[in-house]
Amino acid sequence: MVMNHFEYFAPRTPAETLELLGRFGSKAKILAGGTDLMILMKNRAIQPECVIDINQVQDFRTIMCEPGQGAVIGTNVKLAEIQFSEALQAKYPALSYAAGEVGSAQVRHMASLGGNTCNASPAAETPTPLAALGTKVVLSSQSGDRELPLEQFITGVRQLGLNEGEMLTRFILPEPAPRSACRYAYMGRRDAMEIDSVNMAVNLELQPDGETIRNIKLVMGSVYPRPLVSQEVPALLNGQRLIDELIETAAAAAQGEAKPIDDIRATAEYRREIVKVLARRLIQETYAAAKGV
Amino acid sequence: MKQLIELNINGRNYEVAVNPRDLLIDVIRKKIGLTGTKKGCGEGDCGACTVLIDGKPELSCIKLAIACQGQKITTIEGLAQEDGSLHPLQQSFVDHGAVQCGFCTPGMIMSSKALLDRNPNPSPQEIKHELSGNICRCTGYKKIIEAVEAAAKVWSQEGVK
Amino acid sequence: MSQKDTGSKWNLTPQGWNLEGVPAYQDQTRYTQVGRSVPRVDAPAKVKGEAVYTGDMTLPGMAYGKIKRSPYAHAILKKIDISKAQELPGVLAVLTGAEAPNRWGIVPQTANETVLALDKVRFYGEGVAAVAAIDEETAEEALDLIEVEYEPLPVLLDPFESMERAHEVLIHEDSPGNIMHQGEQVYGDVDKAFSECAYVLEREFHTNYPQHGFLEPHTALASYDPQSGQMHVWSSTQVPHYLHRQLSIVLEIPMNKIRVTLPTIGGGFGGKGEASSAEFAACLLSRKIGRPVRVTYERSEVFYTNKGRHPAHMKLKMGLDQDGYIKAVDFDNTMDKGAYSGWGVVVLFYTASMMHLPYKVPNVRFRGRSVYTNKPSTGAMRGLGGVQPRFAMECLLDELAEMMGVSPYELKMKNAIESGHTAVNNMFVPHSEYKKCLQTAVEKSGYLEKRGRLPFGKGIGMAGGYYISGTAYTLYQNYKPHTSVMIRVDTEAGVTLFCAAADIGQGSNTVMAQMAAEELGVFYEDVHVQAGDTEIGAFDLGSFASRLTYASGAAIKMACVEINQKLKETAAGMLGVRADQLVIKKREIYSMYETKKRLPWEKAVEAYTSINGSLVGLGNFSPPRRKGIDMISGNRVQGANIGHSPTYGFSCQVHEVEVDVETGRIYVKKVTEAGDCGTPVNPMSVEGQVEGSILFNIGGCLYEDQKLDASGKHLNPNFHDYKMPTMMEMPEMDTNIVESYDPTAPFGVKETGEGAVQPTFPALVNAIYDAIGVRFYSLPITPEMILKALKEKKEKEG
Repeated sequence: MVMNHFEYFAPRTPAETLELLGRFGSKAKILAGGTDLMILMKNRAIQPECVIDINQVQDFRTIMCEPGQGAVIGTNVKLAEIQFSEALQAKYPALSYAAGEVGSAQVRHMASLGGNTCNASPAAETPTPLAALGTKVVLSSQSGDRELPLEQFITGVRQLGLNEGEMLTRFILPEPAPRSACRYAYMGRRDAMEIDSVNMAVNLELQPDGETIRNIKLVMGSVYPRPLVSQEVPALLNGQRLIDELIETAAAAAQGEAKPIDDIRATAEYRREIVKVLARRLIQETYAAAKGV
Repeated sequence: MKQLIELNINGRNYEVAVNPRDLLIDVIRKKIGLTGTKKGCGEGDCGACTVLIDGKPELSCIKLAIACQGQKITTIEGLAQEDGSLHPLQQSFVDHGAVQCGFCTPGMIMSSKALLDRNPNPSPQEIKHELSGNICRCTGYKKIIEAVEAAAKVWSQEGVK
Repeated sequence: MSQKDTGSKWNLTPQGWNLEGVPAYQDQTRYTQVGRSVPRVDAPAKVKGEAVYTGDMTLPGMAYGKIKRSPYAHAILKKIDISKAQELPGVLAVLTGAEAPNRWGIVPQTANETVLALDKVRFYGEGVAAVAAIDEETAEEALDLIEVEYEPLPVLLDPFESMERAHEVLIHEDSPGNIMHQGEQVYGDVDKAFSECAYVLEREFHTNYPQHGFLEPHTALASYDPQSGQMHVWSSTQVPHYLHRQLSIVLEIPMNKIRVTLPTIGGGFGGKGEASSAEFAACLLSRKIGRPVRVTYERSEVFYTNKGRHPAHMKLKMGLDQDGYIKAVDFDNTMDKGAYSGWGVVVLFYTASMMHLPYKVPNVRFRGRSVYTNKPSTGAMRGLGGVQPRFAMECLLDELAEMMGVSPYELKMKNAIESGHTAVNNMFVPHSEYKKCLQTAVEKSGYLEKRGRLPFGKGIGMAGGYYISGTAYTLYQNYKPHTSVMIRVDTEAGVTLFCAAADIGQGSNTVMAQMAAEELGVFYEDVHVQAGDTEIGAFDLGSFASRLTYASGAAIKMACVEINQKLKETAAGMLGVRADQLVIKKREIYSMYETKKRLPWEKAVEAYTSINGSLVGLGNFSPPRRKGIDMISGNRVQGANIGHSPTYGFSCQVHEVEVDVETGRIYVKKVTEAGDCGTPVNPMSVEGQVEGSILFNIGGCLYEDQKLDASGKHLNPNFHDYKMPTMMEMPEMDTNIVESYDPTAPFGVKETGEGAVQPTFPALVNAIYDAIGVRFYSLPITPEMILKALKEKKEKEG
């Protein structure tokens, strides 16, 4: 279908962008990659009065990833840039991998990290590893910036903790702890162009003995209205050395926490089953990777 | 509501009047008259509309034309050499039987070009991964992969712009 | 490349292969143009983006048409108010169903579709009105202004429910029981044969609801000339002739005032094998406004109106004697017709004919019915009528082999037909290399060594299949030739071949050029093919039933006889030898005995045309009219003409799979295929057809299914949720063309476009069984089904 008419703006600086947002508030939609926005507008699911294209804003396109200082990723960094960034691949392989598994090459060159989060689809790929990595989002408006953990920012299906006139401008990723690793896995019907039926990321840090888990964070996607951070898995595994029975128990716990729905892509029952399988595999894989670091 | 914008397509500047909502594919096909770029699904799911924007493969069916000002757009019509001879990728698609109905072909070739521009020696797995956004219903893909591999050889041996 | 001998491995002769160095007098039988992997004639234009598809065309003054669609799957159309739409500036015309009430359908006996709904809608997305406007945006806006009042009716989505509730809801008032057609065919004494069998097995099989997935949406451009009354239609159709006929019926214009032209076609797979409302709406709107009108479907509209594969609910019973010979087959098939009849009767009886090959079956009973439901109509889809019963039969044979304790390969080889076989329904197979297909695929894949010996989760499975190479009858009562070819030779255009055949991407224009070049002794690049136009091209039925290579090949051969004779006579005078001793090869005419006596082919053409003018040859092809009778009793059997073909293609596939037993994901790792397509006119094209076929039905087996909600609303009318295989799903493919030459066929050719889809479902299902010990009887096989089945298996094994 043809989209509604709208007013188009292409600001060049963050300040201009925030000024426009302040002016139009919820009547405006931010256009980054457009791979979700354009579809919603073509299907007339939304009909914004104005579209603010942020692709001219260079500040939103930068990756800062220096040794020892975590990373700051601009909201409009393209997923392909994250897929191919050697610095990010080295420090956050789970994120680069997840970005590289989104949709297709074309989608990855268009779609942005910020968009993948702000679309707030439960099946989105990158919010899962971002949350596992302890990412904070920076929300900016004309009155200033505030930070929020990513999992608190996405509040539900297509729902964000954004105030009027506010937008996500960058992601702040903490420096990975020593002896830690983060891994990502997903399940879908095909191996490309897929909407995941389940995705998951595990971030795991070992104690100095290189055996005992100091801290584990397991995040599930597509099984809850927003990225679901497991409460039970850390309770079960923190302070423990990993043995097979524990892995099974932890995987079953994650499965118990997942609250998936039936839809055209998969049934809730299947999704729950996959949570367990992915949890088991990912905990093992991440543990082995952390030991190898 | 219409605005006059300038689009650089295949090295040539075009002045076109567009509405903000006009999609790049419609402007390229209807206003510029370059119909080589195809619309298979209109929702970014099939890749037939792929064009290069500043060298990157993008889906022109979900791209606003107005957002492409100041960027270099390359369509399938921009690949052949100036004397009309085929680009090595095009030649390879012809020689290897990678073309059947041809509707996916322009998009497939544009995606292949973006891939080989970035990595002239892709592994078969990488070819599959990077071209999987281009659906072909005719060939079963085998001959397309063979064509891209053969073109990659020419690419890395002779250098292609 | 073309001007010299390619040294291809396909240097074919009717007597055998690779006869290099044969005496010159045998040159006439050595192929130089047929059997060569040459690039498609249309490929350069396609890779440059210069090929013109219907949607790429604009004509002066052209308007844009759009169709308003029903949000109900079954409802009475109470009122349509088009007044607001008509008032919208830029709207040129609005059309409703009442303006074109004539019913159309490819099978005239059951034709029941209208351009737009008349009094009732029968599926979600059925057209109720159409608009022509100055641009697409305005047309779309106008659709929103059309007000339609519906009275919803109960929605029937399952054929069994549809039959059960027919007393309360009829989808078509003239179809009692909601049954479009039903039939019974009995050959021999099936019950007696079963009572004498040592091994008998009966199973139920259910197939899914995939659609074609061609990339170019239906598009039609119509231009009506009010002064001459002539209608010119450009359309993305694979059946220009049948479209032509339907247009004549609906528009009430004689066929000779309608011209159908095919621009480049972006795939069909059967989905463009009937007329569509796009074509009718474009024509009717154009006639209303006296301007050209183009209608291009959105992808969602392709889904709403698709005529995909019939879901089939099949009961199949087979019996073998002590030695494993098939003695009897009992087949019951309930097919989901969707809303309108279309190809329905034909598909129904094709499924029946599938029981008779590629194995010797002396006693066969078929009972079938095609049942209306409130879904998009089902119709022709690659391998029409074959894919569903082939799935059932090849899987059941695997089970029977296991029952007997032999390998499926042994059982299939034992029962496989050979050249000269006449089935009990009088289907005649002049030539078969089916056994060679089985052998080749099994040997090359290591099937016998691997089956039953791979670790749990890995498996290998095989299946065979066949398909027709064209039909014996037209869909309407007529015995005219199915294809006519006109070839013109002169100094102005060289060789021009005129035929209304439809190249929908399968490469028929290239293959026709190769065959004509072969027969005329020139090179394929010398042949200009004028195809896909009902006015310019001579008659052709269309691209379906894998008929074109055979039919056009036969007509081409005939058309060339007179041309060659006249050129030889001319050359004979010039060379001073007898005309019957002349050979034409590679653009030269020479004496087979005195090879120094030769002259360039063009010289003879020049000499002939300067006296007589252009040289024209006409050829046509009429398939043999074999009757569908019971060979034992001699009695006619209803519907049994369907399935007869001049010859048949055969193939075998071996699939190797890996099943992730924890996630249920199935990975097809390798497919080994061997096919008997007779002479491969263009081996590279044959490979392309086969590779495409394999992935096509891997999609249908594992990923693809159209979903409707309880109200009949289409849930996945897009490529997002209708999941076709991407490049990532492509397995390693080893396809092999077995040595084959059908001496009864022109150039020894057979089909390849649809045969290769036949074995995919059962080979894959058999491989999954080998991997995890679970047999599936319903498609598609989803990861969820795998996990559920494994769980049940575990519980059973305790």
